[in-house]
Amino acid sequence: MLTKDLLRYKIQKAQIYPQFIDPTNSELLRVAEQLIAVFETSPNESRATLLESSKHIIDSTQEAPIIKRGLEKLLLDRTEFDTAPNEELIAFRHKLFTATSRLLSQEQFEDYAAYQREVLQIMVGKSPMEQTELSAKLYADLPSSQPVLAFNTLSAERLLHRYNAAQVQGLLLHCNTVMLKLADSMTAELRQLFKYLRFNQLLSTIRKEGELYEITVDGPLNLFYKTKRYGMNLANFFIAVLHQPKWELTAEIQFRNKRRSRLSLDESCGIKPISQQFLAYIPEDIQLFQKMLQNKTDDWQVRPGSQFLPLAGDFYCFPDYQLVHKSGVETAIELFHPWHQGHLIARLNTLTEQKDVSLILGVSKELEKNSLIAEALEASAYFSQFGFTFRDVPTMRTLLPILNSLV
Amino acid sequence: MKALRKFQFEISRIIMSSPLKINFDKGTLILQNVPEVLESQLPDIRWDERTLTFRAPAYRYRKIVSQLRAHDVPYQDTARQFTIESFTHQKAISPYPYQTEAIDAWHANGQRGVVSLPTGAGKTFIAILLIAETQRPTLVHVPTIDLMHQWHTVLTDHFGQEIGLYGGGQHELRDITVTTYQSAVMHAPHYGNRFGFAIFDECHHLPGEQYQYAAISSIAPFRLGLTATPERVDGKESRLYALVGECCYEAKVQELSGKTLSEYRVVTIAVEMEDTERIRYEEARSTYLNFLKQSRINMGTPRGWHTFLWKASQSDEGRAAFKAYLTQKQISFASTTKQEWVWKLIQRHRGDRILIFTQDNDTAYQLGTRFFLPVLTHQTKLKERNAFLNGFRDGTYSILVTSKVLNEGVDVPEANVAIIVSGSGSVREHVQRLGRILRKREGKQAVLYELISKQTGEHFVNKRRRQHDAYQTLQKFV
Repeated sequence: MLTKDLLRYKIQKAQIYPQFIDPTNSELLRVAEQLIAVFETSPNESRATLLESSKHIIDSTQEAPIIKRGLEKLLLDRTEFDTAPNEELIAFRHKLFTATSRLLSQEQFEDYAAYQREVLQIMVGKSPMEQTELSAKLYADLPSSQPVLAFNTLSAERLLHRYNAAQVQGLLLHCNTVMLKLADSMTAELRQLFKYLRFNQLLSTIRKEGELYEITVDGPLNLFYKTKRYGMNLANFFIAVLHQPKWELTAEIQFRNKRRSRLSLDESCGIKPISQQFLAYIPEDIQLFQKMLQNKTDDWQVRPGSQFLPLAGDFYCFPDYQLVHKSGVETAIELFHPWHQGHLIARLNTLTEQKDVSLILGVSKELEKNSLIAEALEASAYFSQFGFTFRDVPTMRTLLPILNSLV
Repeated sequence: MKALRKFQFEISRIIMSSPLKINFDKGTLILQNVPEVLESQLPDIRWDERTLTFRAPAYRYRKIVSQLRAHDVPYQDTARQFTIESFTHQKAISPYPYQTEAIDAWHANGQRGVVSLPTGAGKTFIAILLIAETQRPTLVHVPTIDLMHQWHTVLTDHFGQEIGLYGGGQHELRDITVTTYQSAVMHAPHYGNRFGFAIFDECHHLPGEQYQYAAISSIAPFRLGLTATPERVDGKESRLYALVGECCYEAKVQELSGKTLSEYRVVTIAVEMEDTERIRYEEARSTYLNFLKQSRINMGTPRGWHTFLWKASQSDEGRAAFKAYLTQKQISFASTTKQEWVWKLIQRHRGDRILIFTQDNDTAYQLGTRFFLPVLTHQTKLKERNAFLNGFRDGTYSILVTSKVLNEGVDVPEANVAIIVSGSGSVREHVQRLGRILRKREGKQAVLYELISKQTGEHFVNKRRRQHDAYQTLQKFV
């Protein structure tokens, strides 16, 4: 991610405009290639050497230095350094400092040169170690000397796209809420978006506006404070937004001691997704679930959740699984894991008055250990009819009776 | 009276049908079945349409529960995940009178509040006594990894039981746990309901933009802040008092000097630069100042520094000015003459335990390499940090060079000489550095030397930091 000093943006009339780069610009692609080449050949070199080579490219090319330093930062984020303590040097220092401490505590030297001679004499005896050599060795394990272990390479074009995404992420670090408008079309991508949302411990409200779903994303404390506490979570969440075919994002950005300004972006900004998308991949939990269901019945088919489900009070949810009976009856399952306590309470509250929804609730037994949750489940007429608990994955013993009651 | 009874009757009627419930959720409280008549009575509760419940920041737990009790409202509390513990001292201890006064003041303040005492006056000791008195699972917040380990050692020693560590790669929660502010901000949403007593060491850090969430996300009803200087330049100490409690006890350094703190004196040494350095310094400074003038930047204003950074990044001239700024700063921080003075002082104080402070890591390593001395910075790995500190305490090493990591809290009672080679204009930083050498020892006379490059910006920096009371007495210029 890019730090604030590496962000490029303009603010006009309270709107903030990230200054994206053109990922097809041949000059920038050339610089990116040169930088990547330096990083690719860096394993076993020291951090200082790597940065020196990188600086050489930054200084010797025409493009804006801030862009090149941004690219360098993104490449450094993909570089692993050897940060393990150097035991040999630690032992050497201990020996040296014990000796110098004794000398400085007990002896009066004529001048600094006399002290220096004495230290060299003690440490290296008759071997011709010079002061410069000793000084160079003394702290040779500082970060600037750490060797590169590995670099996770990428193409120049991908680096430029990643740079543009990082410009947005760098701004989102300074916001408290993100508003999204999404079309209910590419279901696998949506499913991933909601996984990211839950994974990042964020909360959302989903409403429908025309043909679009409007999703407000923030964290629990946003109710009380305009806090940037969740900025990192929102910046990470943005990765999933990029996979959506059609999206609009707005966020209020506020840098320290500055006025707020609005960031408005949509898919036309042209940033390509920067994370892997495994749309054809069927997640392991779904595969297991399918297998277990097939072992018990041929009447029902399961697939990943694929559409918004309207709830009472203009709210929507996005279930984990959709199930279809051979008769055409459809239903959905939403699972609540130990970290979904707030979401579960919200869902139980929403479903209290619900009459015409076909949503089955699966609740982790871990959550049920909380007496408040246990009581809420006990008291919920909806849950007693359309709910079950599970340990790791839903079992057919608890689920099938509910499914069969629907047909 | 009649109205109150009617209010209580109304509440109990509603509660009978569905009891009020309080639950902890990611640093907040979720409240369910709140009767309408109570909505305005409970502090900071708000309707959350994302979860269709009432919600409150976790730190409001004590006030909410107090209000419910005051109105005889029954409630079901699953937020609180701690019980009364039994912590016993393993050592006989007897506090100084001022420590007893501080403890009494904290109790009188409703078992919350800030205690302000100079470094070396035994703030940790007060915390230990209060942990034993409150008997609640306790989370101690500290600003650095070094302090975390120091608290861990002291608490293990006093209570003779396993003490948890949370931060710097450690993730172990115990009934008494020490954590860093940084770690607490990240993890309090998960464990903020497991501790009844929250201690904030060096609590002047707490009102920071992010750090405050360590206190906001915790339900701990008992809270203690410890600091030598609660005041903040940005005036946000009011936020500290809102989250931890008012300052309930304060004693100044002069009140304890010579009694529970060592006698001390401050010696300021004005140092001439060598001619070549002076020329380089003047050149760089004039490039920097000319740029400020041309760009009409007033460094005396709160936005001055940010404006300079911004304008400096816009042109080659600006970048040259920024480089010049760093050069003149570096020369005044670590001139050859300053290094010669360091050598003289090291020789003058043979047999003493000396801490050498610098403003930046580069200068610290420059001195360490020149004089073959241990250097402690944030880059020093944990194992060697402990070895350096323990070596300094037991006398294996008589001198330690450091930039800022020893500014706060770390206990090195054996240190009696501090040499400030360079520093910021922060009064707090200098009072804290002075504090490192003030721990009482029999016959100890502490000396703090400040090396100031003559006719440089350091002169004004030094003038700013000498505004504190601790600098008003026993000062001598060379």
